[in-house]
Amino acid sequence: MTVTTIIFAVMAIFTLGGGLGVVASRNLFHAALYLVLSLFGIAGLFILLEAPFLAAVQVLVYVGAIAVLITITIMVTRRLMGPVESLNRQWPVAAVAAALVMATLGFVLVNQFSGISTAPDVPADGLTLLGAAFVDPAGFLLPFEVASVLLLAALIGAIVVARD
Amino acid sequence: MKEISPEATSDVKSVDAVELLSRKFPGSIKPDDRKGYEGIVVDSSKLPEVATAIRDELGFDLLANLSYVDYPEEGVFEVVYNAYNTAVGGKGLTFRVRTSRDEAEIPSLIGVWPGVDFQEREAWDLMGIRFSGHPDLRRILLWEGFAGHPMRKDWREPFYEEDNKPYGTRWPEGQVQRAEMKTPYGMNVQYPGGFKLEGWEPEGEEALYAGLGTPLGIGPDIHQIKTDQLIVNLGPQHPSTHGVFRMAVTVDGETITRLKPVFGYLHRNHEQIGERNTWLQNMPFTDRLDYFSSLANNLAYAISVEKMMGQEIPERADLLRVLMVELTRIQNHYSAIGFLLNDLGAFFTPVLYALTERELILDLFEATTGSRMMCNYMRFGGLAYDLPSYIGGPAIKEGDRERELDTMKFIKGLVYERLPRATDMLDRYLTNNEVLVNRLKGVGVLPGDRAIAYSATGPVLRASGVPYDLRRADPYSIYNEFDFDVAVRYNGDSYDRYLIRLDEVRQSLRILEQVVPRLEETEGQEYMGGKRSYNHRVPAGDHYGHAENPKGELGFHLVSDGGGNPYRYHVRSPSFINLTALEEMCVGHKVADIIVILGSIDIVLGEVDR
Amino acid sequence: MEDLFIIIYNWLVSLLSGWGVGPVLVDIILGVLGSVLIVAYLLTLALFIIWVERKLVARIQDRIGPNRVGPWGLFQNIADVLKLLTKEIIIPDGADLVPFMLAPMIAVASVFMIWAALPFTRNAVGTNVSIGVLYIVAVSSLSIMAVLMAGWSSNNKYALLGAFRGVAMLVSYEVPMILTLLVPVFLTGSMRVNEIVGAQTIWYVIAMPIAAVIFYIANHAEAGRSPFDMLEAESEIVAGFHIEYSGMAFAMFYLAEFLHAFTISALTATLFFGGWRGPFVEQVPTLGIIYFFIKTFAIYLFNVWARGTLVRLRIDQIMSFCWKFLVPIALILLVLSMLVDKIATGIIPNYLDTTLLGMLPRTGILLLVNLVVGALAFGWIARTGRRERERLESRQIAPVERPAAGQQAK
Repeated sequence: MTVTTIIFAVMAIFTLGGGLGVVASRNLFHAALYLVLSLFGIAGLFILLEAPFLAAVQVLVYVGAIAVLITITIMVTRRLMGPVESLNRQWPVAAVAAALVMATLGFVLVNQFSGISTAPDVPADGLTLLGAAFVDPAGFLLPFEVASVLLLAALIGAIVVARD
Repeated sequence: MKEISPEATSDVKSVDAVELLSRKFPGSIKPDDRKGYEGIVVDSSKLPEVATAIRDELGFDLLANLSYVDYPEEGVFEVVYNAYNTAVGGKGLTFRVRTSRDEAEIPSLIGVWPGVDFQEREAWDLMGIRFSGHPDLRRILLWEGFAGHPMRKDWREPFYEEDNKPYGTRWPEGQVQRAEMKTPYGMNVQYPGGFKLEGWEPEGEEALYAGLGTPLGIGPDIHQIKTDQLIVNLGPQHPSTHGVFRMAVTVDGETITRLKPVFGYLHRNHEQIGERNTWLQNMPFTDRLDYFSSLANNLAYAISVEKMMGQEIPERADLLRVLMVELTRIQNHYSAIGFLLNDLGAFFTPVLYALTERELILDLFEATTGSRMMCNYMRFGGLAYDLPSYIGGPAIKEGDRERELDTMKFIKGLVYERLPRATDMLDRYLTNNEVLVNRLKGVGVLPGDRAIAYSATGPVLRASGVPYDLRRADPYSIYNEFDFDVAVRYNGDSYDRYLIRLDEVRQSLRILEQVVPRLEETEGQEYMGGKRSYNHRVPAGDHYGHAENPKGELGFHLVSDGGGNPYRYHVRSPSFINLTALEEMCVGHKVADIIVILGSIDIVLGEVDR
Repeated sequence: MEDLFIIIYNWLVSLLSGWGVGPVLVDIILGVLGSVLIVAYLLTLALFIIWVERKLVARIQDRIGPNRVGPWGLFQNIADVLKLLTKEIIIPDGADLVPFMLAPMIAVASVFMIWAALPFTRNAVGTNVSIGVLYIVAVSSLSIMAVLMAGWSSNNKYALLGAFRGVAMLVSYEVPMILTLLVPVFLTGSMRVNEIVGAQTIWYVIAMPIAAVIFYIANHAEAGRSPFDMLEAESEIVAGFHIEYSGMAFAMFYLAEFLHAFTISALTATLFFGGWRGPFVEQVPTLGIIYFFIKTFAIYLFNVWARGTLVRLRIDQIMSFCWKFLVPIALILLVLSMLVDKIATGIIPNYLDTTLLGMLPRTGILLLVNLVVGALAFGWIARTGRRERERLESRQIAPVERPAAGQQAK
């Protein structure tokens, strides 16, 4: 049992426990906080995988922006301190769906990655390579640009909606 | 930007008004022929029509005051209105309505003058007169658990001793008799019949919130309302409400949709206590109204009573009165500007500079009157003291414990050097500050006609383009002997309300520059007219006297029955009535703006709650 | 001369190894020790910062400031901390306990975590991660979470309002901050903070003054200091998101605010003012820490100055200042200087040289770009201001209509 394993275990508990909290929590605000915890766990896992860039982006985008946005949405749309009841009774369906997704992922995991025992080495200039790959026509230029255009469209759409 | 208000030339005599009105409303108007009373008596059924005519045809567009008097012997309540003409100034028109004590109800004038809103609520609260047609007739100064209407002559306070001061001895025949023993109720609080304190929910709260548009206890329905409306209580404990003042605000996001001021937390029934007091005992009591400008309060009360007594005042007393009142105005406006900046979010820097100058003025007050704030300086017919020969000040050099300054030198230094420089300094650093201009311009606009309708007075009215200043419009003391302009600004926004205070400071300095040489000429002359007395008797009658206070028109509606105590002592407080326009100024602005608008009105809670 | 920090580090490593501690454990122990050292240093420094601020603001306001406890009132804050320590932490009825108590801790932690990536000298840096700059942005965005949690869990409308407007402001000002943060990154070609400092033979503030100013303003807003103190706007929403906090819980928010203000100064000093660089720092690396703090305090003075003199802006003015002015300017500046830089790299030989003389052409060209953008920005803001003023003038209301004299009763 190495230090890495311990840290991995802690991060896994954060991630899974947070995820469980999100679906099990009665209080929507608490659920959002559990989501933050879960996202943090994932950031920790990225660090373990020696991908600090992804970890930082995970924190910046998911915790700093998306989770905050979700929390604000909850705060402005729900009654603040009143009793929180669930909006519908679809949790069994949701549970089945979640189980199916997990089964699929598990299947892929076992099938595809079962042979790997150690993490592959990360190149020292991984960050530079990542950046170059985004703007390399042979790399991910097209998906990168498509994603950019999509986000821009969403941005303009949001402004249009907000103006109405 | 300034213009001189038309000299008070055309004086609409109430006799003419009676003629015109009785031609229009035959049988409903009659002149008040009681001795010492003036004005007309209007039949209550015709009141709104007559009021409309008074406003539109006679031109008395500003309803300065609404007062109410109880005459138990005749079995009537009398509501007294004082209307003034902002265009030509001059004497106003007093009109009264009488209603039976048992079923006191008269039509509300809120449709004619929205400014009567709070005043009618006050009359309902303290006297129990119903105003039919008032949309929100709730108690305003007292709470719902208060039994009775305390301004009625037959109402007794829990520790009631006697009707009038000076009270008889509490030790008759050497026997200690405590006030508590005399209380007719045996306890110091009484509640209305059937009132239970436990589990009491303030009715007024529900009415208050209902008035704001969202029922209490039921949250906004997410399916109906597009965005969440939040009711926020600004106050009563809030650093920027200038005291214990509360505003219940409905906000949509940060935009205000409704606002209701709630006050009375500092209420002490000033008027009831004032009626127990002797005439002179009320002089120090007026200090406690607008505690920032106690000397101006003194003057307003003194001139009202002197008018009833027909008292002459020596020149030196008048000069000193003007000196003190104008210095009061200057220090009040300095602090108002300083605190306005604080409300804007400045970290105390401007207010500390403003207070530095104020302290110097207070030094003079302290040396002259013995007190920095509760001055109690004026008497009927003059003043309590003359100027002292020197003023003790703080040490300027190490080693000398105290600094003694010649008073006239000190005053000259203030008037000719220090205060003009300080005013220029405030002007230079604040007036063109981008952030300040952005925060104040276009915020809390009150157009001139609305300001008049809301009975706003003082800087609030004049910043809206109405050059109505009582020192010119209805001159009192010796203001007609001085050369000064009525400061006026035209936009009616918070920025103009800030600027007009600087303008008024400059005009006050102009007056003071004319006062100082005359003070030197009259050195050593008599400063007290008539005989000094503790117990004045004021001839029977009814009078509404008013003066231009730093915050607006401070009026005293006094009724005397010829005795040593006022029969009625009503205070028309400018802060209280200026607040009527608050909602109109605030709606559509942001939460941060309410504070600024409130700061630009410049209220003092001692005067609002009375 | 060897760097003092290296000497201590080597001595500690040899000491621990001598005791038979394994290399992994040595790393962990030294990491913990370093963190504790930085945090303890910052906590002590905070007392001093608050004292400096109180003294300076007092002088601005024509006062003396704290002068009773200790020489020149130096120990006033220690007395205050002791007082706060003995106070009860009052938890309001209906508060959400866990987020309520977690919020002040996150607020303080988010500030401390920034210091992990700031280099005090060439060698004394908590962790020289490859994504240093990104890390700083990421952890500082955590403070938003703290504001939200405090605002929501306090069960108080002022707190909620404070949190709403605070979060709106913080999220907005992150945009110009990140945009200008990219400037030193692209100038250096690295996100390592220490490399950014190392490359500043000529300070980046000289090459990119506009970027530095925007970065400082945006960070100033992030720290929630006057005139951007929307979060706590004392005169409006009493104390904003931390209205319900008392005792040490309040003290932690207070500490976080002051440290954050100081941290942004350190950040600006590092990214634009050459961090630990200064005369003789090559020979005596330990001097770096002195230069670093001199620069930081100098920049912090502006912060205090603003607090003592400026009036708070309104939330909509703050937002439009960010989105309609800072963001466009930062975007234009970033894109334009990148383009010019790229083109110049191809034309001018030895363009990316980092020696003093070698940096001159690059600095000159970029300064030119900055001046152009700056002139445009000022022209634009002057025009907008003029238009705004005209709009306000046009809204002026006419003097009251008065009845003609003939209508008056005779």
